[in-house]
Amino acid sequence: MSIPEISIPLKRILDFTFLVLLLTMTAERRVSAEDATPSFEAVVQPFLKKYCVGCHGQKQQKGDRRFDALTGRIVDDNSLVDLQDILDQLNLSEMPPEEAPQPTADERRVAIRWLTATIENYHQTRKASHQAAVLRRLNSREYRNTVRDLLHLNMTMFDPTTTFPRDQTTEHLDTIGDTLVTSGALLQQYLNAAEEAVQKAIFPLEKPEVQQWTFRDGFRQQPEIDQVHKNFNGFKHMTLYDVVGADKPEGAYGPIHAFADGVPHDGYYEIRLKAEALNRRHDYPIEFLGTNPDEPFRLGIVAGHKDAGTLHLTQPIEPLLAEVELADEQKWYTVRVWMDAGFTPRFTFRNGLMDVRNLWGKLAKDYGDRFPKRKTKGIVDNRINGITHGNLPQIRIHEIEIQGPFYDEWPTAGQKAVFGKNFTGAIYDETLAEGNLRNRLTEFASAAYRRSATSQELERVMQVVNARRAAGRSPINAFCDGLTAILCSPAFLYLEATDETARLSSHGLASRLSYFLWSSMPDQELRKLAASGELRHPEILAAQVDRMLSDNRADAFIEGFLDSWLTLRDLGASPPDRNAFRSFYHYDLDSAMRQETRLFVRELLEQNLSIDNFLDSDFTFLNKRLAEHYGIETSLAGNEFQKVSLTDRRRGGLLGQASILTVTANGIDTSPVVRGVWLLENILGTPPSPPPPDVEPIDPDVRGATTIRDQLEKHRSIASCNDCHRKIDPPGFALENFDPIGGWRTSYGRGKKIDPSGQLSTGQTFRDITEFKQLLLARKELFARSLTTKLLAYSSGRHVELSDRPHVDQIVANLNARGGGFRDLIKLVVASEPFLSP
Amino acid sequence: MIIHSANRRSFLKAAGVCLALPTLESARQVARAGDPEATPRRMVCIGNEFGMHPDTFWPKQTGANYELTPLLKPLAPYRSDFTLFSHLDHGLKGGHFAIHGFLTGVKAAEARGLPGGGMSVDQRAAEFVGSRTRFPSLTIGSEYGLHGGCQMSWTRTGTRIPPIPGPRELFRQLFVDDDAAGKKQAEERIHLQTSILDAVLGDANSLKRTLSRNDAQKLDEYFSSVRDVETKLTLDRQWLRIPKPKAPIDEPKNKGLTLDLPALYELIALALQTDSTRVATLEIAEGFVSSALGIKQGYHGLSHHGKVKESIELLVQIERYQVEQFAGFLDRLRSIREPDSDGSLLDSTMVLFGSGMGDANSHTNNDLPIILAGGGFRHGEHKAYPKASNRRVPLCNLFVSMLQRFGVETDQFSQGTTTLTGLELA
Repeated sequence: MSIPEISIPLKRILDFTFLVLLLTMTAERRVSAEDATPSFEAVVQPFLKKYCVGCHGQKQQKGDRRFDALTGRIVDDNSLVDLQDILDQLNLSEMPPEEAPQPTADERRVAIRWLTATIENYHQTRKASHQAAVLRRLNSREYRNTVRDLLHLNMTMFDPTTTFPRDQTTEHLDTIGDTLVTSGALLQQYLNAAEEAVQKAIFPLEKPEVQQWTFRDGFRQQPEIDQVHKNFNGFKHMTLYDVVGADKPEGAYGPIHAFADGVPHDGYYEIRLKAEALNRRHDYPIEFLGTNPDEPFRLGIVAGHKDAGTLHLTQPIEPLLAEVELADEQKWYTVRVWMDAGFTPRFTFRNGLMDVRNLWGKLAKDYGDRFPKRKTKGIVDNRINGITHGNLPQIRIHEIEIQGPFYDEWPTAGQKAVFGKNFTGAIYDETLAEGNLRNRLTEFASAAYRRSATSQELERVMQVVNARRAAGRSPINAFCDGLTAILCSPAFLYLEATDETARLSSHGLASRLSYFLWSSMPDQELRKLAASGELRHPEILAAQVDRMLSDNRADAFIEGFLDSWLTLRDLGASPPDRNAFRSFYHYDLDSAMRQETRLFVRELLEQNLSIDNFLDSDFTFLNKRLAEHYGIETSLAGNEFQKVSLTDRRRGGLLGQASILTVTANGIDTSPVVRGVWLLENILGTPPSPPPPDVEPIDPDVRGATTIRDQLEKHRSIASCNDCHRKIDPPGFALENFDPIGGWRTSYGRGKKIDPSGQLSTGQTFRDITEFKQLLLARKELFARSLTTKLLAYSSGRHVELSDRPHVDQIVANLNARGGGFRDLIKLVVASEPFLSP
Repeated sequence: MIIHSANRRSFLKAAGVCLALPTLESARQVARAGDPEATPRRMVCIGNEFGMHPDTFWPKQTGANYELTPLLKPLAPYRSDFTLFSHLDHGLKGGHFAIHGFLTGVKAAEARGLPGGGMSVDQRAAEFVGSRTRFPSLTIGSEYGLHGGCQMSWTRTGTRIPPIPGPRELFRQLFVDDDAAGKKQAEERIHLQTSILDAVLGDANSLKRTLSRNDAQKLDEYFSSVRDVETKLTLDRQWLRIPKPKAPIDEPKNKGLTLDLPALYELIALALQTDSTRVATLEIAEGFVSSALGIKQGYHGLSHHGKVKESIELLVQIERYQVEQFAGFLDRLRSIREPDSDGSLLDSTMVLFGSGMGDANSHTNNDLPIILAGGGFRHGEHKAYPKASNRRVPLCNLFVSMLQRFGVETDQFSQGTTTLTGLELA
């Protein structure tokens, strides 16, 4: 069989995945619009014939739509989709296209009224709801957070999910039950991770002794610079040059090789160090080194592990444990940091130099007169000169003392959570005998299952404990094995959906709420409200939303939802070109961009500001380097973020934020098509159809004087391309002034100017991004619906279907009545029927 | 489906394997005692993220006398050991977001509900090998890199087996046994996990009774996962008692994928030679950086060359390095004798080299660069298939041929419904 024969039927189905869901629905309902005057035959049919059937009829079916056979009755989901589509297009004035004859305002209004009434009537008389499976397992993030809250673990550098198969997403959502598959590979990882987490929470049983380590010399760092330091300073101090973002870093991570095995136990450690900031005010041009002479040097402590790779280079798990602003002169500093057993602290220079490996040569070239003549002009001699005579900005660390472990409490919160208040009794006085043991397991299982554990479930856990006892394990070890078993049960791994009456149970509701807003398990208060049934009261539910959003755990909502809605998790998946975008790596713009968007969203949530701010706003959050990146003058200093008001609206709203502009580019160049599609999908919720099979792709050619815009003009001259690209390209053009990392530009280089103007398919024109955003605001209804749909899908764990449409519309209407606040939107979603139903 | 313990146990017994001593040669022979095949069939799949620059890769001529292009030059000594196929692909679109369909023929998001669930050809072969080798398959690669990297290897359930990140980890898996204490601990863990599986299976059975039909179907994933892990634990327990082969080389250091390619190819050859596995997949993605080859511009950036001559030259330099390493691998396989046969390891190993990306500059996923070497096929030609859109031949037909050669009795794989016309056994 040849490809087209296979792929066309397949593609047709895939293009309309939502139809697939709908086609599986059973009941065929006939609803006529007889009550809605006037009749289909009288007004709508002639309307369609006059304005639509030319392109969507027997001869042509543009966009795979055909309306000539519509009867005005909704006989199945296909006809529902058709009528809803026509209604949406008319409401938006997107159709008929501007070059085609236009209906009068009256004709349009009558058709809209008829369609609205017919569809409403259909939904009201129809009982069937969505058909998607609602049972869903925890995704990796939720698993990690749940284990953290259940066992009170410090997860700074413990992540049992790193070896899990990566969760699949649909439409970027990572909470859709249908997509979250369980496999043998995953279950094997669950078994391992559960054991690891339980062991970590409970052992050692005895509080470890505090130890102390002191390091005063022998500070070897990495071979390249050690050969110079040996003669220059005899390893008397550690010297930091590069930032961690440097390509082949030298002096970016200062390890303590004598402490490579790391700390002996999980716990808090006090790190004292004597450090100085040298040559902060240097006599090179500021742009030459790129460090800021007016800003104190920042020393960062990151974790490292000798088994995770070389200690002087980047490692997969290296959380920033502490950051200290240094005085220029030698001084002692003390920080208290959490470290897991085996991890060792490494010292970094947060606002240091960039790519000193290249700098050595540049110094020799541009400032050769400052250095003694050497035998060669190679990197080795240049490096010797640079280190010994360059007087470069650098951090020196002269002494380091490490002391620990310390604990906030002992027994630890985890031990108490598992063994109860009488930890000592449980461990030493054999009170962990049959009865008590079972009670402890019941309590733990009930927390883990987010509802009361049943006696049969407990029986099975006890069987594990007994089997392990029989195999010779000590009571405490066998007990831990029971805990491990609980963490592998489907009752823990899957979120409960329905109760006996096929409703969403109270506990199921508590879980749905907590995984929505915290990406973790319900806390005591939620479980109590679930047990008493009070959680179902609308006021209590709303009050819980307020409480939960002001908790730190709500950060998980902001991160998780932004990743799912705006694809921010892909930021960095396509690393910007190092040569073209040095600042991205030098100034850690990656983290700053994310931070800007998260703080922005947090502000909307906390102040209950209108969701219109997503489209355009008069404020954002910036630190100094991000403000510089945007070319915005501020009085900001250092790494702190502040709310900044925007008089120039180019940066207002999400579309001005570097995170969005970077994630919609590929790190090398920008494409109006990619950004346009992204905007249609994620902001307006109107994804275009994929390109037809036989269309010639655009093969970028940057040699001549043409721009991507010219190439797209040509593409749009092909009729089959134009149908979609008239919608896709214009938003992309508006964003062309932003380079692949969101910097402002007016030319592509080589004298090719950027033209950010465009015309929407409605005929409205804009000159640039600022005007474009005004046109977007005129369609804020569409945006509100799209955002609501995403929130509903993210929170309920299933795709939003056509039968949910009335609920979505209701939420949007109520939101408008309340003033459009983002926090209000969350509350409306939580109070909606799709959220409260399985 | 409710599974009862007694049935399950007998099922596991039936799945048992026959194993023995693992020196380089003897392990293979004993492992093969219950194996009907004379010579085991092997499969290696290699892919990259950005394909091969089409103008520098494709020869103008077809048939046996085609002229080697600059990107094919490193393969000159093995010319009669491989076939080059043009105009094969899966008809996918999506640029970087479609390359993960290279070995499956379908995008992951669209795979659910299809027969085979979007499984890749290497994993289909691994299923067939099952317990006959210590590792049903080895996937070397990463979950990261540009939009998740190559992501070539997919299981029947539409998930990825977490890949092995580098030569050091691969070496340890292949050759480093736990010490006595470690083995005891591993035995303990198998005991613990087996009894946990008994308990959670009970939980799943009682949960299932409360579920709607759709949700119950969803839970079936959990049931089959339990079965999979039970089988794996049974095998793990048996393999634990058999020492791994002695390492013929020292443990390599990880130097980043670019410089690690020789070590990885060597380890894959050793894995095949020791019959530790018969299926290996190498994903050349995250960590493959051009700076390790002394090229300043990034690999991804160069792949968007915009037809600028200087960029194309550098891009070809990077791609040529990949072809050279691949050639070195073929050379290595040809130098190892396949025991109990007249041939070399290359004769019993199908090596697929290619990409899910056809042309990186235009981000298209058609006309994929595809080379198949070894495996006992008749090679030496550049075979061109119809270009016209209504007569195209699915790349999956090649996969059907490979699976049949591997011993799998099937005439279907994803979009493939028959073997590939024109590809014959030697």
